[in-house]
Amino acid sequence: MSWWSRLTNVFQSERLALDLDDEIQFHIEERIRERIASGMTREAAASEVARRFGNPLRLRETSRDVKLMPWLDSLVRDLNLGLRMLRKNAIVTIAAVVSLGFALGACVAAYSLVDALILRPLPVRDPDRLVYLAFTTFRPEQPEAETFNDPLFVSLRDASHDRVDLFAMSTQVMLPAIFESSGEKERVRTQYISGDAFDLLGVQGAIGRLIKPEDDVPATSIAVISHAFWISRFGGSPSAIGRRFTINNRAYQIAGVTDARFIGVEPGRPTSLWLPYASYNPRAFGNAQFNWFRILGRLKDDVRPEVAQSALQTVFTSFRRERQGLFDPGTSSTDRERLIHAPIYVRPAANGPSPLRHQFGRSLWILTVIAGLVLLIAGSNVGNLFLARAAAREREMALRLSIGAGRGRLIQQLLIESAIVAVAACALGLMFATVAAPSVVGMLTAPGDPVQLDLQMGWKLLGFAGGLALLTTLLFGITPALRASRLAPMTTLNTGGGRSLTRTGMFRPFVALQLAFGMVVLFVGGLLALSFARLSNVDPGFATSNVLLLDVETTRRIDGSQQRTAFFNLLDRLRLVPGVQDVAAAEYNPLGRAWTAFIRLPGKPNEAIETTMSPVSARFFETMRMPLVRGRTFEPKDMEANAAPSVVVNESFARRYFGEQMPVGRGFEGRFNMSNDTPTQYNIVGIVADARYDLRKPAAPTIFMPLRTSGTIHVRTAALPAALVTRLRAEISGTDSQFRVTSITTQSAVLDRTMLRERLLANLATFFAFVGLVLLAVGFYGVLSYSVVHRTREIGIRLALGAGPMRVIRTVVMDFGSVVLIGVLSGLAGGAYLSRFVEALLFDVQPQNLLSFALPLGTLLLMVLLAALLPALRAARVDPVIALRSE
Amino acid sequence: MSRQDALQGSLPLLVLKLLERRGPLHGYALATHIEAISDEELRVEEGSLYPALHRLEEAGWIKARWMKTETGRRARVYDITATGRKQLDSEETRWKTITAAVGRVLKQA
Repeated sequence: MSWWSRLTNVFQSERLALDLDDEIQFHIEERIRERIASGMTREAAASEVARRFGNPLRLRETSRDVKLMPWLDSLVRDLNLGLRMLRKNAIVTIAAVVSLGFALGACVAAYSLVDALILRPLPVRDPDRLVYLAFTTFRPEQPEAETFNDPLFVSLRDASHDRVDLFAMSTQVMLPAIFESSGEKERVRTQYISGDAFDLLGVQGAIGRLIKPEDDVPATSIAVISHAFWISRFGGSPSAIGRRFTINNRAYQIAGVTDARFIGVEPGRPTSLWLPYASYNPRAFGNAQFNWFRILGRLKDDVRPEVAQSALQTVFTSFRRERQGLFDPGTSSTDRERLIHAPIYVRPAANGPSPLRHQFGRSLWILTVIAGLVLLIAGSNVGNLFLARAAAREREMALRLSIGAGRGRLIQQLLIESAIVAVAACALGLMFATVAAPSVVGMLTAPGDPVQLDLQMGWKLLGFAGGLALLTTLLFGITPALRASRLAPMTTLNTGGGRSLTRTGMFRPFVALQLAFGMVVLFVGGLLALSFARLSNVDPGFATSNVLLLDVETTRRIDGSQQRTAFFNLLDRLRLVPGVQDVAAAEYNPLGRAWTAFIRLPGKPNEAIETTMSPVSARFFETMRMPLVRGRTFEPKDMEANAAPSVVVNESFARRYFGEQMPVGRGFEGRFNMSNDTPTQYNIVGIVADARYDLRKPAAPTIFMPLRTSGTIHVRTAALPAALVTRLRAEISGTDSQFRVTSITTQSAVLDRTMLRERLLANLATFFAFVGLVLLAVGFYGVLSYSVVHRTREIGIRLALGAGPMRVIRTVVMDFGSVVLIGVLSGLAGGAYLSRFVEALLFDVQPQNLLSFALPLGTLLLMVLLAALLPALRAARVDPVIALRSE
Repeated sequence: MSRQDALQGSLPLLVLKLLERRGPLHGYALATHIEAISDEELRVEEGSLYPALHRLEEAGWIKARWMKTETGRRARVYDITATGRKQLDSEETRWKTITAAVGRVLKQA
């Protein structure tokens, strides 16, 4: 009988008992029938058979024992013995459980994030048949684009409908919805979708109806909300259906709620509201320049993605060829060909297309690997612990072997001990993970656009943790167990519990493993920490402290020029608030998105130059402390609608396009207004120092132009910005104001947000590296101490024979010299290998750099030396007389 | 010597042999077969038959499954396994050697 059926027997002992009864009952019945057949009465037959059988209960017990008892019994005995043994060394056991549990918890937490963001398929019908489209852009900063325009979508959909059903889902935005009942603006994560999207995804409605193909008409006003939003906003009340609200002055009415499992197609950013894409900005339709939605699709049965791709490629290429006029005017003919033949990709969308995954996916994998390595370090400690324990019990083991215990039984017993440790560590790890994972999600979150990952601490995770614990146990428990079972009883018993010199050698494999893993963790952690440090030290070229950023919106509909005047008046009013040093506005915050446009320089009429454009108000450079290099900054008169078009450029622009000549007073042609066909002549009035709009890149040539209508208000404050918030808010939404504040943040918070990924990686990797280092030091200390204690006699002899203390120290420590070397070298190799996957995430740090290697190497060696210090001193202080007498 | 004792130690051998020759059998059939073939010389004690069967099953020499009899009653039926056949071979040889040896001693003593 296999061990599995035994195990099931243990858990199904009730059934087993019934089966045994049934078998015996059958026998009794047959016997009685036979007796009756040979002429006995039923009663006589029954009593004879009963006499013959004796007590059926005892029979059952005997049979049951045969099946279960020996194994179960040994299991219970081993468990008891194991617990007793572990309790005897309570502190060591607790250390093992805590370190293993912590590492396990880190692994489980990392895995739960990876699962939620990367692995888990969308809760839709047949997620494996879902795809999304992407195409090459040939732009290094964003090599692939995933958003498409309406005419292209229509062509692609119509041309491939026999292979794949394509549907559109816009990128998600937080939009201000005003519900009729409250009149307040509420920011709701909204997505516009084509009418067949829900149907093709296979999403069901909880109540009401979902968006359907017939809603693909401009007059539509239907809206669908998510289950979570239904619960949080309407308390799950059926009266939510029929509620009216407006978004961007367009009226909608809630018609249905999606089923609770579906929270959108973008992991991490659950959708609250779906609107028909026909209700989107009318200018987007028929416009091949307005890229605003993703194309997803469901492959038809038996259609492979490549087959769908070939059909889509043809349409994509001819679409681009027909619309070459839309390419940048400066594009060369070879680039033109390249753009026309840009490949379109059909990507699996089983887990949903996710920008969050683009941003953090690789980082999470790296953290998972690092957590795994820390687990291996902790596991090696436990492995050595069990080795030492097994060595201390060699006599006991040898005795048991010599009186006939099976080697299998000994292995079983030792493995059970490590299993107890693993189960305890697993429980601890799960507890740790339930706290750690959500806090990491918190770190991914940018204000105003919360990340919500469904971490699902369920059976799957429990299984993962259990599996990991089991694997660790086997990996690190099996060596000591096998070692113990291979003992030769005679030698062990004769030598009095093994004073064998090879004893300390048994720790070598785990010590080498630990050092190797520790080296990798330190190396990768060091790279990430260094990268973050370099990035935070980048000077963005403007002062980031004491700047408040306020976004405002109009409270009622007013036309552009009125709004502009009102907005500039507001800026003037804010300037008078006590504590405010300066106020300006800009359409794009530095470190935010930027807008690029084409200009022509004098003397080069055929050359269109793409530059970054940044519309700003007067006093912007003063507010942001961007130094003026030449000429003047903007004045209020530059902002007037009929003013001569003046611009300020940055140094990069001046240097790139005007070289040594100073461009102040010169001009260029630009066409910054789409509706305006005749280019305007702009005059350069000043040059300011470079400021980075992206910390990772040198400043791009930039043109600052006068603010058009309104923008983000930048307020420089004298003291801590937070203190002024209420005052500013009151001023903006004061009695005669036409504005209200939609969001407030600080420039330093924006700066922090741009380094979100680097900070996350650096913090967690450094933390793991630290933990790994501590575990490693503790482990190495333990091993050395053990080896000194067990070699006391040998050391005593050496000292007695005249060896100096230094020599003794060297003997003890050098015992592990080669192991340290092997471990560190293989760790370096491993780190160099892993760094290839990390390199893409690094800023200004080369893994091949000497510093990148020297730093972790130095730290590790220092730690090893520190860990060796105490045991080495103890070795040197051995008193030969005492050491020799103790035998 | 009672008839029951005569079986001591040889019950597993007989069970294996019967299962090899006569295919899958339930406990009751095994008992009646042994009794019938030995002309009632060997009596199978139920109290030892079932533990023996379960021990053989535990050792992996026979395997059991539940079947329906002609009367529709659920019966546990045993069958010999490949390792069981090997075991039977060696047991049988051993038994023959011993009985032959004992016979020789009885004859020539």
